[in-house]
Amino acid sequence: MAEYFFNLSAGVFCTMDRKHFLAAATTFITGTAIPFKRSFARNSDEELLYRKPPYLKTGDTIGVASPAGFITHEEIQPAIQVMQSWGYKIQLGDTIGKRDFTFGGTDEERRNDLQKMLDDPKIKAIMCARGGYGSLRIVDDLNWTKFKLNPKWVIGFSDITVLHNHIHNNFQVATIHSKMTNSFPDDWNLAEPIQIETIISIQDALSGKKMKYSAVPNSANKRGTSEGVLVGGNLKTIETLSGTASDIKTNEKILFVEDTGEYLYSIDRMFWNLRRTGKLKNLKGLVVGGFKVKPDDPGEEFGKTLQDIVLEKVKDFKFPVCFDFPVGHQKNNFALKCGVKHQLLVTEKEATLTEII
Amino acid sequence: MKIKIPPYLQKGDTIGIVAPAGFMPIEKIQTCIETLDSWGYNILPGATTHSNSQNYFSGTDEERLSDLQQMLDDRSVKAILCARGGYGISRIIDRINFKKFIKHPKWIIGFSDITVLHAHIFTNYKIASLHAPMAAAFNDGEFNNPYILSLKDALEGKPAHYECAPHPFNKLGEAKGELVGGNLSLLAHLIGTDSEIKTRNKILFLEDVGEYLYNVDRLLLQLKRSGKFNKLAALIIGGFTDSKDTERPFGKSVYDIIYEQLAGYKYPICFGFPVSHEKENFALKIGVKYKLSITENGSVLQEI
Repeated sequence: MAEYFFNLSAGVFCTMDRKHFLAAATTFITGTAIPFKRSFARNSDEELLYRKPPYLKTGDTIGVASPAGFITHEEIQPAIQVMQSWGYKIQLGDTIGKRDFTFGGTDEERRNDLQKMLDDPKIKAIMCARGGYGSLRIVDDLNWTKFKLNPKWVIGFSDITVLHNHIHNNFQVATIHSKMTNSFPDDWNLAEPIQIETIISIQDALSGKKMKYSAVPNSANKRGTSEGVLVGGNLKTIETLSGTASDIKTNEKILFVEDTGEYLYSIDRMFWNLRRTGKLKNLKGLVVGGFKVKPDDPGEEFGKTLQDIVLEKVKDFKFPVCFDFPVGHQKNNFALKCGVKHQLLVTEKEATLTEII
Repeated sequence: MKIKIPPYLQKGDTIGIVAPAGFMPIEKIQTCIETLDSWGYNILPGATTHSNSQNYFSGTDEERLSDLQQMLDDRSVKAILCARGGYGISRIIDRINFKKFIKHPKWIIGFSDITVLHAHIFTNYKIASLHAPMAAAFNDGEFNNPYILSLKDALEGKPAHYECAPHPFNKLGEAKGELVGGNLSLLAHLIGTDSEIKTRNKILFLEDVGEYLYNVDRLLLQLKRSGKFNKLAALIIGGFTDSKDTERPFGKSVYDIIYEQLAGYKYPICFGFPVSHEKENFALKIGVKYKLSITENGSVLQEI
């Protein structure tokens, strides 16, 4: 296992300098376009304006903070060790080990910690320790001035969907949707291959490797090929952002969604919300990740599957739809670069999502 | 646009009953039918009240839609009582044809999932509707309680005058405005859609049932962040019953959560108002103007 990991890392470092240069070049070009955004750039133009933060180099620092649920120092150790083995320095925020009931500290403590990490130029990426609930309670009180000038990677999923979409919608900066510190295997040597692969995918994304994922073909998939900026996250969280300053913008984009612990009726209602808020009609593609469905109560059988629910909402549209994509509250949850252009290819034999440009 | 109040009911008028969302066996609607009959109305049970559906819904989307559509279009029907909520209006709302209803408005009665209908109708057509108890509330000998009787009064056109005990979280004051509101989860779910409520200068009321504490917090934040709390005339907090907590406790009661989220607003706020999924559920006319007075001795909500 260790060897596999080492080889992969080596491969990554080989490509890194070129990627880093490209990212820097992109930042420079789009940086000049930003002031004009409000006047002319909308919808499909928007994708041109997403900035990729600089990819990480050996010796760079990753900050770890708890903007939502609490985590203990003990729980976070495996993640620290693995990320250090990638050649990064780890800086733990004040919220690590803090607890205010379900939260990783009070709103004030969580806000201050994340703010420090956003503002500190030494920190090149911020990994959220875990999800749970809480980002929504602090997002409007964060000051993004320094982040806008010097974007850095914000990493996480589930509740962190709030930060992803807030950042995309307001600052057009790319982020990484991935597992967090609480999903690193306790013992790397005993971990299953899928755990290793998904954790390595975070390293790949951070170091600038081009990403490519494939999903097991599902007979319900809608075939087609398209290109667009990837956005998405936890479906319930996306619904609660509707109408707010952090609302997801899906025009001309590839949207991915996942959720856990919801009844089918609730999933149905959330997909109606996507449809009725106009978020499906101009999509380039829909990627459906894991949905851990809460079983219907006896006598209250919903009578439709997840596939039925989704296909009904997209039946008027032509874009490709892929089910069983490896993203969600599950082991096969790979790092996705959000705000970055991808190609979605869905055929009878395969379904792939490939980073382009 | 001027608000349209559907005609109040006369003895002998017809009330249609439909189940536009979840399934309900006809036996559980029986007491409601008998009670409405005893109030002097003619009752027309729709096809969905006799459903033999084996799943969650009281019929397919087409069956539920067509039943509701017929009741909306039938001019002899003066009010439509939804037998129960559950889930289902979101699936058919965009396919309902309101053309005849707009020309000849009638009272739509219900709550919970029916919040979608109320919000859609008032936002788009400025027609008043009735947030009120449904069929289940008549059962178990409750058909004569003050909350059921408040529906009778509302249908007859008697102006409402409700009183509510003082609550330590109340923000005292007096306000007038049109009433809007309903189930918090559904009001949040509608934000960004054609059915979204408008709350400027309104008295907003909220209730919910069986939600996780963190989710109540999240839903309130969505309303707050989408500006729904900004320009209210007043706010009424009803029952938030059977709240659930996560394994890692949230650390606050549901009313603590609401109180904290509303801390910055200056308008009058009434906690503990009898609008809920429990027995305590007064009939409220959405779109109609009310005066809310909150003093140390309690609150009064009256129609003006």
